[in-house]
Amino acid sequence: MAGIVCDLSAACQHVTDGATLALGGMTLYRRPVAFVAALLASPHPPRDLTLLNFTAGFESDLLVGAGCVATVRSVYFGLESFGLAPMFTRLATSGAVRVMDETEASLVYGLRAQMAGVGFMPSTAWQGTDLLRLRPDVQTVTDPYTGETLTAFPAISIDVAVLHGLEADEEGNVKLNQNLGIDLELVYTAQTVICTVERIVPRLQKSADAVIVPAPGVDFIALAPRGASPSSCHPLYAVDGEAIMRYVDACQAGRFDDYLREFLAGDV
Amino acid sequence: MITFTPDEMICVCIARQVVNGEVLAQGINTPLVMAGYILAKLTHAPDVRFASAIGQGIAQDWSPLRVTRVESGWLDKALMHVGFATATADLLPKYQPKEFFRPAQVDAAGNFNNIALRRPAMRLPGTGGIPDVTTYSSHVYLYVPRHSRAIFTPQIDYISGLGHFAGRQRGRGPNYCVTDLGQFDWHDGQMRLLSYHAGVSAAHIQRKTGFALQVAPDVGQTPPPTADELRLLREVIDPLGVRRLETLGGARRKALLRQIIQQERDMDGDV
Repeated sequence: MAGIVCDLSAACQHVTDGATLALGGMTLYRRPVAFVAALLASPHPPRDLTLLNFTAGFESDLLVGAGCVATVRSVYFGLESFGLAPMFTRLATSGAVRVMDETEASLVYGLRAQMAGVGFMPSTAWQGTDLLRLRPDVQTVTDPYTGETLTAFPAISIDVAVLHGLEADEEGNVKLNQNLGIDLELVYTAQTVICTVERIVPRLQKSADAVIVPAPGVDFIALAPRGASPSSCHPLYAVDGEAIMRYVDACQAGRFDDYLREFLAGDV
Repeated sequence: MITFTPDEMICVCIARQVVNGEVLAQGINTPLVMAGYILAKLTHAPDVRFASAIGQGIAQDWSPLRVTRVESGWLDKALMHVGFATATADLLPKYQPKEFFRPAQVDAAGNFNNIALRRPAMRLPGTGGIPDVTTYSSHVYLYVPRHSRAIFTPQIDYISGLGHFAGRQRGRGPNYCVTDLGQFDWHDGQMRLLSYHAGVSAAHIQRKTGFALQVAPDVGQTPPPTADELRLLREVIDPLGVRRLETLGGARRKALLRQIIQQERDMDGDV
C-alpha cells in the first residue's frame, strides 16, 4: 500500500505538542525505543505530552527526563529488576510531572469504552480504595438492576500510538510477538498508529508464535533495526541489562543530560 | 545443621501456602513468589498452573528464574496468550488465581499502599491491578522481604489494596502475609502473628511492627526449610540467585544483578 512505509523522522512529525501518546509493548519488552530517540533528536521535540502506557519503562523515562511529558497515565512506571525509573520517580515526586493514577481496570475498561463507542464502562474496581479520591474526574454510577455503586471508567482517546514489531510487509501488515501487552487495543483505539519494525519483507508469513496486525490497522511503518534495544524484541534479542544499568548509574550520578546526549549520538 | 537465608525461608513459606490444582498469578519482578510457586509444583502441588504476566497467558510448565531472559523461559510455555486487557478483564475473574502482592505499607486491617509515600515524599512505581483485584478476590496474599515499622504502620498514606472491613461487597482482605521475620494471618480483621522464623522472637517482631499484633494461641517457630526444599531452590529453580534481589539492598544487590546479567549472557542456547 503506497505511502505507508516512511522514515523515522517523518513518522515522528505525527506527535505534536499536547498530544496523548501511547507506547506499545511491556516494561522492558518490545518498546519503541528508536522512535523515542528519533523524537528527542528532532529539531523541536514535542512538549506537554500526555504519556499513556500500560506499563512504562526506559523509553518513557527518557521522554520524562527530557521534559516532553506533562502528564503520565500508567499502571506501573519502573525498570523491573533494575529498580525505580529514576527520572519519573524524581519528577513525579517533585510534582514537575503530573500523575493521573491508573490501574489495569481503569486503562482496560477505558479503552473498551472507547472501542464500544460509549462514554464509560462500569466495574467493581476501585470501590473502597483511595483511587476515587485521587481521581476526582472518575465518577460512580448506580447499577440500574441491582442498585450497587460501580466505578464508571471514562473512555480513553489516544492521538498517536507507537508499537515496535518484528516485521512488516509493503502491504502494511505487521508482525508482533506474543508478549502483547495492550498493543491490539492501541491499534483499535488510537487516531494514528505508527509501527517501527526490525525489517520489511515482501510478504509476511503467518507463524504460530506471532500475532499479525492486518492492514490497514497500522497507518505508518518505519524501519528501525534493533529499534527496541535495550528492551527486548523476542525472539530476536533479549533485554540488554548492562545498558539499562548504565542508564540507572548515570541518572543516580545526576548525569541524565549527558547520558541523553550520548545515547542520541549512539555512544552508549 | 541446615543453614538457610531469609529469602529461602520466605520462598518455602510461599510454597507451603499453595494448594494443588490452584491457578497462581505471577506478577512482574516478584522472584521470591515465582520461586515459591515453582517449589510447590516440584513438591506437593504438581497440578498448579501459572497465570503469567509475561505473555499474559496460562502455563502448566515452568522455567528457572531469570532477569534478562525471562521471555525465552516463559513465552513458549503458555497454553494461550490473550494480551493484558483480556487477561485483566476476562481471564482473572474466571480463573480466580491466588496472588502474592508486595506492599510498601500495610495497616493492622490489611489495607495496603503502593501509590506514594508522604514522609519522605516519594512516588512509587504504581499499583498495577491491586485496586481492582482486591475489591473482589478472596485469594489475596502478601509478602514483605524486609519487615519494618515503616512498612507495618498504623496509618498508611493511601489505600490501594483493600483490606478487611465490613463495607466491602465482595471478596475479602489478605489471607496471609510472610516476611523475613515471621508468618501472619488476619483474625477478626486484625493482623495476627502465626509463627516466628528460626532465630527471631515474637517480642522482636512486635518491636519491628508499628501497631499491636494479635498473637495466635498456638504461636511457635516456623518449620525451617528441609534439605530437599533448599536443594530445589538453589540448584533447580533458581541457581542464579535471582530471588535474593528482593532481600538485598544497595551495593550488594547491584553486584548480584551484574553477576546474574553476565551469567545469563554467557549461557548457551539463549537468545
